[in-house]
Amino acid sequence: MLKTSLKRALTGFFVLATAASLPFGQAFARDLTIQVWAGGSNVADAYRVDAITMAADILEREADIRGEELNITVETKYDFDGWGGFKQAVILAAEANNAPHIVVTGHGDIAPWSQSGLIRPIEDYVDFDSWPLNDLFENLIEISSYEGVIYGVPQDAESRPFFGWIPHLKTIGYSDADIRAMPGKVQRGEYTLEDVLNDAKKIQDAGLVEAGYGWYPRVSKGGDYWQFYQSYGGEMLDSSSGKLVFDKAAMQKVYEFFAKAVEMGVTRKNHIGTPWDQWYSEVASGKAGLWHGGTWHYARYTGKEGLKDFFGSVMFSLIPAGDSNGKANTITHPLVYLVTNRGSEDDAAIAAQLITIASEPRINTLHAIKSAHLGIAKSQQSVPLYANDRWASEATVRLLPYASAQPNHTGFSPYFDAMWKGLEASWTGQKSPAQAIADVESELKVQLGGDIIIR
Amino acid sequence: MSQNFKNWPILTGLVLATVPIVLMYSYLVLDTVTDTKPGSIFPNSFTLEHWRFLYEDIEGKANIWQVTLNTLVFASSVMLLVLSVSSTAGYALSRLNIPFRREFLAGVLILHAFPSITLIIAIFLILQLIGLYNTLIGVIIVMTSLQLPLGIWIMKGFYDSVPWEIEMAGLQDGASRFTVWYRLVLPQVRPGIIALGVFSFLSGWGEYILPTVLAPANNVQVLSGYLASLIADDRNFEFNLFKSVGLFYATPVVIMYLFFQDKLMNIYGGGTKG
Amino acid sequence: MSLSAKLGYVFIAPALVLVAVFFLTPVVLTGIFSFTNMSTATGITGGAYQITPSLLRDLSGNGFEKKTLDTIGTESYQVSQATLQVAREAGSHLDLLSELEADHLGSNFKNRREFERFLKKLQNRPRSTRELKSTSPHFKKSLINERFETEIDLRNSLVEMQANLSEEQLNTLIQAAYTGWIWTTDNFHKMVILPETKQILFNTIIYVTFTLLLFNVGFALVLAIATFYLPKGQAGVFRALWLLPRISPSVLYVVLWKWLTWDTGFLNAILNPLGVAQRNWMLDTTLNAWFFVVLINGFIGASMGMILFSSAITAIPKPLLYASEVDGANRWQQIRFIILPQLKWPILFVTVYQCLSLLTSFEQILLSTDGGPGSSTEVWALAAYHSALDNYWGNLQYGYGAALALVLVIIGVIMSFIFLRFFRFQELVRQPRIEQ
Repeated sequence: MLKTSLKRALTGFFVLATAASLPFGQAFARDLTIQVWAGGSNVADAYRVDAITMAADILEREADIRGEELNITVETKYDFDGWGGFKQAVILAAEANNAPHIVVTGHGDIAPWSQSGLIRPIEDYVDFDSWPLNDLFENLIEISSYEGVIYGVPQDAESRPFFGWIPHLKTIGYSDADIRAMPGKVQRGEYTLEDVLNDAKKIQDAGLVEAGYGWYPRVSKGGDYWQFYQSYGGEMLDSSSGKLVFDKAAMQKVYEFFAKAVEMGVTRKNHIGTPWDQWYSEVASGKAGLWHGGTWHYARYTGKEGLKDFFGSVMFSLIPAGDSNGKANTITHPLVYLVTNRGSEDDAAIAAQLITIASEPRINTLHAIKSAHLGIAKSQQSVPLYANDRWASEATVRLLPYASAQPNHTGFSPYFDAMWKGLEASWTGQKSPAQAIADVESELKVQLGGDIIIR
Repeated sequence: MSQNFKNWPILTGLVLATVPIVLMYSYLVLDTVTDTKPGSIFPNSFTLEHWRFLYEDIEGKANIWQVTLNTLVFASSVMLLVLSVSSTAGYALSRLNIPFRREFLAGVLILHAFPSITLIIAIFLILQLIGLYNTLIGVIIVMTSLQLPLGIWIMKGFYDSVPWEIEMAGLQDGASRFTVWYRLVLPQVRPGIIALGVFSFLSGWGEYILPTVLAPANNVQVLSGYLASLIADDRNFEFNLFKSVGLFYATPVVIMYLFFQDKLMNIYGGGTKG
Repeated sequence: MSLSAKLGYVFIAPALVLVAVFFLTPVVLTGIFSFTNMSTATGITGGAYQITPSLLRDLSGNGFEKKTLDTIGTESYQVSQATLQVAREAGSHLDLLSELEADHLGSNFKNRREFERFLKKLQNRPRSTRELKSTSPHFKKSLINERFETEIDLRNSLVEMQANLSEEQLNTLIQAAYTGWIWTTDNFHKMVILPETKQILFNTIIYVTFTLLLFNVGFALVLAIATFYLPKGQAGVFRALWLLPRISPSVLYVVLWKWLTWDTGFLNAILNPLGVAQRNWMLDTTLNAWFFVVLINGFIGASMGMILFSSAITAIPKPLLYASEVDGANRWQQIRFIILPQLKWPILFVTVYQCLSLLTSFEQILLSTDGGPGSSTEVWALAAYHSALDNYWGNLQYGYGAALALVLVIIGVIMSFIFLRFFRFQELVRQPRIEQ
């Protein structure tokens, strides 16, 4: 019985036996090539793959000290045509038994990719009870798991905060102390989404921003919008049954919130689809009052958009609660290192070891700071590069402990599609929020049937 | 042609309609060697900076010369394959008495106007089965196959217009059917071969979806994919660089076009007449 | 067999093989795929068998006894003679096994993590993570999350578990544990029910109608007639310019449009000083997006009609035109009564041919708006591509994408038959005159 485990064990044994039978000091050479592909990355994220190259160097040195000769060639690639192009390439390559050994992708891929056998559970190869993996944030490991099995190692974290332009807030009557206290008030639920709309209106009425720029949300579909669902007490996954949850009342409040923003004139009706470049340059130059974005935006605001005094200009906090059912929250969408089914068990074991080394605090910090993401481990706070970076350290403390994630569930993608279409329809006024909810409900019944609990 | 009517209203209308094309293509050339302040119309300084991709790799991207070589190999192989296969099959359908000729011809005709790109999922599976996924050869064969119906159709059209007397004469002199085809008929359809050759080369050179989906690996990347991935990277947004790469990419096309313009007109007119 | 036929076979064979393998087989496969639920999660080439916690939860409401499911599903690690024997045969470290047998026989652990923590505290503990990880699976006493490559493997393991399953239950369980694809007609059901189908159908009609009427036929006519009235040199320049979009690589061509419409692009550079607010002209509103989608495709499409119509006009006998001018016809009358009637067939031809190619083309839309803003320019072919090959969530829906593609394939075949009629097919297949 337990055929696959046995197979693994046997290969493992032979490797060990071979290694043990060689007298100490006698070189036994092993050459292998490990391919690493990272999605959604650009030059600033190069450490996602470069960390594996660094890890290979360390692993080779360790092997050398033990008297083994290990030569790992790491081939990296992150130059893809967007997320879609990356996933297409990985999936098709995997169908052709030609996947890269390691992929860096969103945690949401774990569910379908584990079902198809595209990835191997990383817990079969590495020990989460020993350093550095025992130092990772628990909630991030949770997010890297599916059906009770740990499939991946978190590669980075981020979160999606609520932002406010400080000079505008001051003009409508907030003192410096008020602004400093704001993140705390948001977290305690004393500043709610209703206040967001009211303040947006005030900023607009004071003539500080143009009409439709008071509340300036994300311009395209994104996990960010589930934060508002949580703000109104909605749950995405029922943890006891493992089924998705569609909380009609909470979702309707989300739709109503954005419809109301349009009605009040603080958000443009045709806001969705605004180009990202335009959006970035506007929010980083005070053309918008309140908005929400991602922690990685920091790099863009202070880099390409040239915002000099970020902390003097931008307030950031959790996404405020909507009503007493929900609470302030933020969603993180960590990328994870996954080991694919490519190659032998030995290749996979080495790939997993490389991932483990790449997750050491010092190496991971290089990526976190260079790309303005958040760390994955507690001890990164004591790595000087991390600790001395005001953004990383403040954002980690203020946001990450409250971060949740979208569920790893094969049905989540159609659920998301339906939810987004409903939101778009109520936002642009094609449908009333109630009508949109009814349509989403009927669509979910067709698409997901028993996989979703409708409340 | 007719001299009785005034030209200027027509000319004005056409010039206006053509403005976008002229603008886009002249700025394509202009912007590659100049800098323009964002939001202004006229360039303010001369620079060769945007052409740096020719001698240094853009960070995180493949080497441009490797990519160009791939594109060249891809486009020329497609051209050669399409030419050799279409010129034989076209001849068979036009002149040789084979069973099911009618059916073949109807098939070619239907496929000629067929939504081939919608088949790409299944094509992927077949490539994977025969082990050609993620190889240049695989994409070349697929691209060739998808072009064949049009190619055969065009070549058949050209053969149809070759006078029978030429072949009759050849056969009476005792030459074989093959020799007649090779020595006598093929030279007659040279315009068709040139037109189809240029057309397939240009289609291969410009193709985006097939190489992107069927051969995504770095070492087989072609220029269309290179340019697309450059643009997809939204933190490194430099229009003048895109345009320089674009101009580099389009120059061979434009040169071929200038040389073979008349021949191409035949094919872009739907390939309905030889 | 005649020589002609023999050579014919040789000549046509390469084309036949290529077209059959890469054109006809895909058509058939598309038909097959569209009746499956194939996706990334199920894989293309078949699946494995895996009992997951959620599968057991689903079954518990389905006539399965809780105790039975617990036997199968509760993860546990046991040190027993049986498991020790398995580990020994697999070659685990003997000292460790002796220690386990001597001191810990009968110990039970809730899950792998707990068991491995325990192992690490032993005197003869495994020296490396690799050794630890290859030792622990031998002590596992459940099937949960175990991946079986074949049905037989799973069946045997289930029987070995002695979980008290009836034959029927066994089959239900095995069927439910299958991770691969199954036959289904759900794709078509889904297509009919989903509201987005209506949207993409509507989008496709808009796209094809407007591009076809305004550019591929309409503007092509204007170009052909206008250049006809111009001196040869000027006409040549315009025709050459209008062929440029057609021959340019599509990626570059779309970049040029983006440059024109970008938020710091050329249009804004001109309009901004006039007091028009800066915006992305291509994606600002649905109307804008459609305007540019039609323009981008229309500029490419106009050239085919232009060339065909031009050559048809050139074929009009010159004396006819001169005569009409002598009779005092103005230009409009000349176009209306002499030129247009000559173009009836070419217009019909272009309409049908281009209608078909527009229906199935999506490359320019993919590169320019990618169906946006929202999904307002998502046309049928693009939706098929997106479902099957390019979606944000790593679960490509091959089955549904193939079903969408199949609709286009069927439309394509029907229209191709209409096409055949236009060609006066009989004439084209006239018999070869040399029978040898």
